[in-house]
Amino acid sequence: MEVKIAIKRSNAQTNGKAISQAYSIEMDGNRTLLDGLIRIREEQDPTLAFRGSCGTGFCGDCTMTVNGKGAVACRTKLGKALKKADDGIIEVGPLKLAKVAKDLMYDAENFHWQKFKAVEPWVDPVAPPAKGENVVANDEVQDLRAVMSCTQCGLCDQGCTVLVVDKTFLGPAALTKAYRAVFDSRDSRTAERLQKLSMRRGMWDCTHCFEASEHCPKRIEPTDRIFALHDKAIKAEAGPPKVVHHYKSFAASVKAHGWLDEARLAVETEGFTNVRGLMKLLPFAVKAGIKGKHPLPYMLHKKRPGAEHIKRIFEKWEDNGK
Amino acid sequence: MPQHDVIVIGGGFAGLRAALEARASSADVAVLSKVHPMRSHSSGAHSGVNAALKSGDSWQDHAKDTIEAGAYLCDQKAVEVLCKNASEDVVALERMGVIFNRDSDGRIDVMPFAGSSHPRTCYAGDSAGHVILQVLYEQVLRSQIPTYDEWFVSSILVEDGMCKGVVARELKTGQNHAFYAKAVILATGGLGRVYSPSTCSLTGTADGPALAYRAGAPLVDMEMVQYHPTTLSDRGILITEAARGEGGRLVNKDGDRFMAASDAGAMEMAARDVCSRAVHAEIQEGRGENGNVYLDLRHLDKGRISDRLRETLWLLEDLEDLDPSKDLIPVRPAMHRPIGGVRVDTFGATGLPGLYAAGECASTGAHGANRLGGNSLLDCVVFGRRAGEAAARHSRGATWHPPQESLAIAETAGFNEIASRAPGKDTPGIIRRELGSLMNRKVGILRDEAGLKDAASVLRNLKERHSRLGLRDKDAAYNTDIISAAELGNMLDVAEIIIAAALARRESRGCHYRTDFPQRDDVKWLRRSVATRSTRGPIINSAPVVVTQWNPAERNPAR
Repeated sequence: MEVKIAIKRSNAQTNGKAISQAYSIEMDGNRTLLDGLIRIREEQDPTLAFRGSCGTGFCGDCTMTVNGKGAVACRTKLGKALKKADDGIIEVGPLKLAKVAKDLMYDAENFHWQKFKAVEPWVDPVAPPAKGENVVANDEVQDLRAVMSCTQCGLCDQGCTVLVVDKTFLGPAALTKAYRAVFDSRDSRTAERLQKLSMRRGMWDCTHCFEASEHCPKRIEPTDRIFALHDKAIKAEAGPPKVVHHYKSFAASVKAHGWLDEARLAVETEGFTNVRGLMKLLPFAVKAGIKGKHPLPYMLHKKRPGAEHIKRIFEKWEDNGK
Repeated sequence: MPQHDVIVIGGGFAGLRAALEARASSADVAVLSKVHPMRSHSSGAHSGVNAALKSGDSWQDHAKDTIEAGAYLCDQKAVEVLCKNASEDVVALERMGVIFNRDSDGRIDVMPFAGSSHPRTCYAGDSAGHVILQVLYEQVLRSQIPTYDEWFVSSILVEDGMCKGVVARELKTGQNHAFYAKAVILATGGLGRVYSPSTCSLTGTADGPALAYRAGAPLVDMEMVQYHPTTLSDRGILITEAARGEGGRLVNKDGDRFMAASDAGAMEMAARDVCSRAVHAEIQEGRGENGNVYLDLRHLDKGRISDRLRETLWLLEDLEDLDPSKDLIPVRPAMHRPIGGVRVDTFGATGLPGLYAAGECASTGAHGANRLGGNSLLDCVVFGRRAGEAAARHSRGATWHPPQESLAIAETAGFNEIASRAPGKDTPGIIRRELGSLMNRKVGILRDEAGLKDAASVLRNLKERHSRLGLRDKDAAYNTDIISAAELGNMLDVAEIIIAAALARRESRGCHYRTDFPQRDDVKWLRRSVATRSTRGPIINSAPVVVTQWNPAERNPAR
């Protein structure tokens, strides 16, 4: 079939402005976009720059934008892409959030690898066994393998709603990589890692929008991995104190009363001994009192109807957690 | 001028393993790779790594299987090193953080693989390659080994009979730099792009063998080119041997398990070359459909394969809309791996002082005439480690004597000359496609003298066209056109050697099957072929096979 592809091109001469160039190739719709790009480069235009390596979706090298959405070119079938294309022309461009280097190539060092390195993703072993391999349960291995099937294609980062506004956020790809070290029982630095991930622009900047999980082509569920890191940090009290207090207070309040006691949440998040923090809350407390929002001592917070059912849910979940 | 004690060319398994070992031996080591290390072809290796870890198995059994699979062309000393070190090197990988599947005791699990007498392949689902590559890269970061990502090496600097470094081009800037080193380790991986289709990534362009050959180091056993029996239609996309290890069956269009005719005992678990030829014959004799036979996984336990073949199932879903629990998978053989490469000893030494090689671009002779599945990753970690150790040792004993600057300038000028030529009708891609198709048709599973001579003459024409090739891309930054042209030059040089070596070997053994000489001939050809460069092209000589304790015998087709 005839496949029309319009490619956003730029190089040093275009001063960062992209020019759309149209190509037409004759190719089976069952073949992939990467096959199509190779054909264009081989037969029509050897000046076209793009990355690609394994061609089977294992190396993550050929990520780009296809019809406005992030995609891995070697897992994108031409026929399907054509169906989703406006005017029967597949629109291809570089990844949107990364700095463009040339044509479809982008600055991968800054987009992927700096952040990958920042989470120190290697295993720092606890004392290894005297002989042979570490004994590890297969369930743990399977979970880690799911995470390690990440190819650093960058699609989760591309979909991230925080990175759009703040490129310095660590991002779901690097955080998913961090999960690999944090949850590997052979690693000795769990608490320290969680502290580090709590840095500015670190894991607590995730807004839980689930876009990363939506965008992951390997079904790794990066958002859930970030939740798991949060959870582990709270349990180990390894996150920033305010964050840990906030999470714990939130849960304790809902467990006790069936709904959220915002006064309690505010006080406990700041911490009882944090006089300066509590003083800051005072004007809000006064205003809330005047408006009839009753920031009473939370011991007097009313239970919502059916609160005992909610408590049971908590208890059941806590039992499962053990 | 950047300089390091040891420079490793290539960021896949062998390269990263070598770099780690050189670093552990206190050498100042750096990795140069034309793609980011995590984009290396190693990421696409599905299968696993062989080691006789379990009781009842032994390194001797592993060695015997390796030698039989290699049709007795193996250097048995190299096989002994490979198999004796396997357990320790695999355990070392685990300790670095590789997440091998576990048995019920939490120990590394093994699976059966074609050609192996015991289940011996340690695996990580069906993505061992991707997992091991990640872990090695993690460790490289941990060891603070500098990596030069997206640097293409265009030549090796040789002066006074010594390797003194390399010339490389930075893709980002288009600048050429000379790197001085006391030792260079080639770990550039495969040469699959010489063939089309091939299971190899776009990066497998024979760079290491071509660089070594031009620097004066010989190549061995280049006629041995392994085809994998199960790849998707004409895409060259691999369906892992683990699919057969799990019990997958090969059937023809009538639903017959045709492997019974080749080897009723081993069936689908027959050695790769045996299996590929059987599939090829089935298709040629009209019992295939649309040029394929079928891989049948429908009878396998769904839960079990959804974990163990997880990536494969997604691949089939994404690319072929197939559900293997309901559908047959159309497969055919495609070029998979070279068995030969840069001639090295078991410490990666090429014979040219300071030049080492390891992994798929090198050949210790351990794989003979056909590589056993699961031995390839093992080769990279065992011989990669040893090359790293040896290169570091060499650099400790060597003093710095950088080459004359004029040498680096001359090498750079040669590389740049192609960019200055005016473009014509030809592109590197057009020539590469013709090359790939030629090699697959004439120098593939079945060969004969007429076809090989034909291939040699077409190849001369392709080389001539390459020598006149002009480039359209005149950019300095990110000029992939000039890299493609250089890679094509490497592939053409190596293709010429493959053809010459295939013409020279007038017998059939392992991967090399001559329809005009269908018998194995131990009297004349229990010898390894050695290719050296001359002004008139490659010269093919031969060298005896090293036999230690396994005397050449009739090969059990299962091995």
